[in-house]
Amino acid sequence: MSLALDLALCGLILCVALGAVVGRGVFRSVIFFITYGLLLAIGWARLGAKDVALAEAAIGAGLTGVLLLTAHGRLRRMSVERAPRVGPNPMAATTGIAVALALGWAWFALPAPTAPDLAAALPLTGMGNPVTGVLLHFRAWDTLLESIVLLAALLGVWMLARDVDWHAPLGLRYHARPGGVLASFGRLLPPIGLSFGSYLVWAGADGTGGAFQGGTVLAAVVLVAMMAGVLPPPRVAQGGLRAALVVGPGVFLLSGLLAVALGMGFLTLPPAVAKPATLIIEVALTVSIAVTLAVLVIGPPDDKEPVR
Amino acid sequence: MTLWLHILVLGLLASLAGALWRVWHGPAQSDRMMAAQLVGTGGVAVLSVLAALQDWDLLVVALALAVLAALAAVGFVKAQTPDSAGDPEETPPPTGGDRRSRAVRATAHGD
Repeated sequence: MSLALDLALCGLILCVALGAVVGRGVFRSVIFFITYGLLLAIGWARLGAKDVALAEAAIGAGLTGVLLLTAHGRLRRMSVERAPRVGPNPMAATTGIAVALALGWAWFALPAPTAPDLAAALPLTGMGNPVTGVLLHFRAWDTLLESIVLLAALLGVWMLARDVDWHAPLGLRYHARPGGVLASFGRLLPPIGLSFGSYLVWAGADGTGGAFQGGTVLAAVVLVAMMAGVLPPPRVAQGGLRAALVVGPGVFLLSGLLAVALGMGFLTLPPAVAKPATLIIEVALTVSIAVTLAVLVIGPPDDKEPVR
Repeated sequence: MTLWLHILVLGLLASLAGALWRVWHGPAQSDRMMAAQLVGTGGVAVLSVLAALQDWDLLVVALALAVLAALAAVGFVKAQTPDSAGDPEETPPPTGGDRRSRAVRATAHGD
């Protein structure tokens, strides 16, 4: 019976993926992509990868949907009414199939990695959640660089702004009818999302959750508040915004350098202070991730209608 | 008991498949969007049953979907307004102009 369930889920995921790439309307592809994220989250949950399922649900169903729908609305506003007819792309299809086959081959052909026993090493990190322990201790380099990559992506988006717009608030000038459905939603969701996002960060130390998942939920909250016109969007030059953007990578980097100064390796957290230190880094990372993601989706400063 | 939970999940997946049919056929953009919202709701249900089946921690994932699935609808509604930043409830439209024709066009031929 559970085999039938897995087959049904796989079939649905494949159908949705096909729907996203085969259809010709841009809007339909966007909607299929949103549902694709939802189904992937269920797939990861089915595999028992709770933290991945959580990240996929938050990113795939939450932020990507808004990002793509906003982009579609912007295209329409620039009177690109219909997307240019795109024929089948044999090059992309071949590359995609080749990558999938190579990955499948690697999965079956390569020997299973013999990692040192994680359960034995986990107490050193002070964390109960193996994913958080690995991310912030055994693979701290990757996590640090990933947090910097987010910042680099934001700089890339900001580079798209025109010089005249540079001091304008970020994104569009959102407005909504006072007391209307949208404005009310913008006041209703933030308290729920704030508690849920903070819970995810706190629970990530010992259970399902984590800085990235919590940060994504918080980013969604900020985004809804901005789109409902409840929260004014920040400006690029605002000191508070810049501080929030760099506090995560900054605290992480400083803790690594502090370990070097104390004669340990870079990014080494001694077991005695591992838990409090990890929590401080996680909270700082959450602030940066939340603000960076929200500002990424809001877009570069834009004062006027785009030039046609 | 597990058998019944499995059957329940299969039934929920079948309802998701029905929503996907609507995403494919439309015809209006709002039809596709509402179908996506149905997939979100069905996803919360599937995850809740999977939580009973496998691991109660999956309820957190279901909760995350429940909090965030409505976000896409906000993005959609915003994109439907003339300046992509407004609210369909606002009258009169702040930028004036071709609001009505846009709305009609958007619902008539959702691409």
